Amino acid sequence: MKPIVAIALREWRSMFLSPLAWTLLAVLFAITSWMFSAATRLYQIQQMQFQAFGGGGASLTDSTVAPMLGNAAVLLLLISPLLTMRLIAEEKRRETWPAVASSPLSPMQILLGKYFGLLLFLAVTVGLLAIPPLLLFAYGSPDGGQIFSGLLGLFLVAATFGAVGLAASAATDNPIVAAVISFGVLLSLWIASWMGEAGGTDTVDQVLAYISLTGHYEKFLTGVISSADLAYFVIVSLLALVAARYRLMAERVRG
Amino acid sequence: MSDVMIEMTEISRFFGPTRALAGVNLQVKRGEVVGFLGPNGAGKTTAMRILAGILAPTSGGARVAGIDLLSDPVEAKAKVGYLPESPPIYADMSVREYLAYLASLRRVPRKRRRDAVDRAMTRCGLDHVADRLLGNLSKGYRQRAGIAQAIVHDPQVVILDEPTVGLDPIQIREIRELIRNLGGEHSVLLSTHILPEVQMTCHRAVLIHNGTIVSDDTLEGLENRAKSGHELFVRLARPPEVSVLKSLPGIRQVEALRGGWRILVEAGANPAEALVKRSVEENWGLSELTPASHSLEEVFVNLTTREPQAVAVQESAQ
Repeated sequence: MKPIVAIALREWRSMFLSPLAWTLLAVLFAITSWMFSAATRLYQIQQMQFQAFGGGGASLTDSTVAPMLGNAAVLLLLISPLLTMRLIAEEKRRETWPAVASSPLSPMQILLGKYFGLLLFLAVTVGLLAIPPLLLFAYGSPDGGQIFSGLLGLFLVAATFGAVGLAASAATDNPIVAAVISFGVLLSLWIASWMGEAGGTDTVDQVLAYISLTGHYEKFLTGVISSADLAYFVIVSLLALVAARYRLMAERVRG
Repeated sequence: MSDVMIEMTEISRFFGPTRALAGVNLQVKRGEVVGFLGPNGAGKTTAMRILAGILAPTSGGARVAGIDLLSDPVEAKAKVGYLPESPPIYADMSVREYLAYLASLRRVPRKRRRDAVDRAMTRCGLDHVADRLLGNLSKGYRQRAGIAQAIVHDPQVVILDEPTVGLDPIQIREIRELIRNLGGEHSVLLSTHILPEVQMTCHRAVLIHNGTIVSDDTLEGLENRAKSGHELFVRLARPPEVSVLKSLPGIRQVEALRGGWRILVEAGANPAEALVKRSVEENWGLSELTPASHSLEEVFVNLTTREPQAVAVQESAQ
């Protein structure tokens, strides 16, 4: 456990020392905040219309927080490959990998160390993205539970993206190639449901819909935390970690 | 625990169809410093990566400090410090942070970590750059930091892949001194293609060529082998027939060379005295008699340029 913590802390630190992570955070925060303020303005206009013509009006959280977090996940889809590409590929390219690989660590310990370091960073990211929704409490009465569920969903999405990115980074010693691989895999996970929606009841379509990340995430955004959706993210992350582990083991044999 | 700290038995390693190692057997005892010599591409680095637990052999077995590297790689790696060909440096860390980080990966308890780092830095002459970023240091200091990380956890076995590459002559001397001091406490296997390095730092030299070990001998043994190819150069004003020279005891062969004679001497014999005596008696007019011995270098070149089969035959004949 101790070496895992050591790797995690080093990884976390080196992310904050690199301008890349800061830039990505800034871009992510700027765009999501912009979208959020646009959504709140739209909501205000809608509320005024509802007041003028009567009617119940839409939920504040549904109209502002949910779309913002939905968009944040899309942005993460674009950004997280850039964040994770370095994790292992960079060590191999800079030839620091032998120092880690010759230390008394199992491949899984190395991967978990890297992964937890990344999760720390992602926690900071989600924490940052929590600021705009929490500001709503100052001006209205948003649904706190729904916001929490949405943020948890976003963190799970980010963690899953991270695990896939880590596996891609373990598969190559070129960070750019790692980024392309993880982007490809993540996009496939994202759009699988589009492929699935065509038929409807067909088994293949149902499987595709289950594989797709979007359906599971949307439930979190509506405020529903179900163990099935939680399990989905955990399973995909674990599969990615296990794949990365086999890749690292095979490397010892293949050279 | 047995005294053999590094043990490779019949290690072979293929990269696709390419054979990098073919049945390598190697033993290094506790406290021994062994030089691993060979031309580029001979398999030195492959063998060392196997011992560092980074590469698995295609066949054969390896143990370090009595622990099987194949069945228990993690425990075995705890006993090994490894400097790869290019020093594994994190440019964004200071020397101290770097060594502390790797010490923590290698099970140095938190309480002892500071001392371990300080000790490694002192041994490698890094004290005055302790808080500088590795990315800003010169090649020589990076190399030293690479050596420091290989010994920071006080491993029983130290494997150094070309430790003096990129250093200036003064640094080379310091590092050689350091390596010599490592022996006794640690077992050291170091690869190089610089012969004097082996002469200065090692107890034993193992020569590898085309993935096979062609010679494994102590330095004295190698020097004796060098001397056994002993030869004399003689210049005579009134030389006799070549057959007369050849008939002297202990002379293997006589060749004309630069207006004199090059005399190859049989192993262990010294015909110089007989030669001088005969020359005086028969008035050959001896004007020069110079002993010349093969340098270690020539011995190595001989061993590596011969066909492997021929070497194997010669080895088994000994």
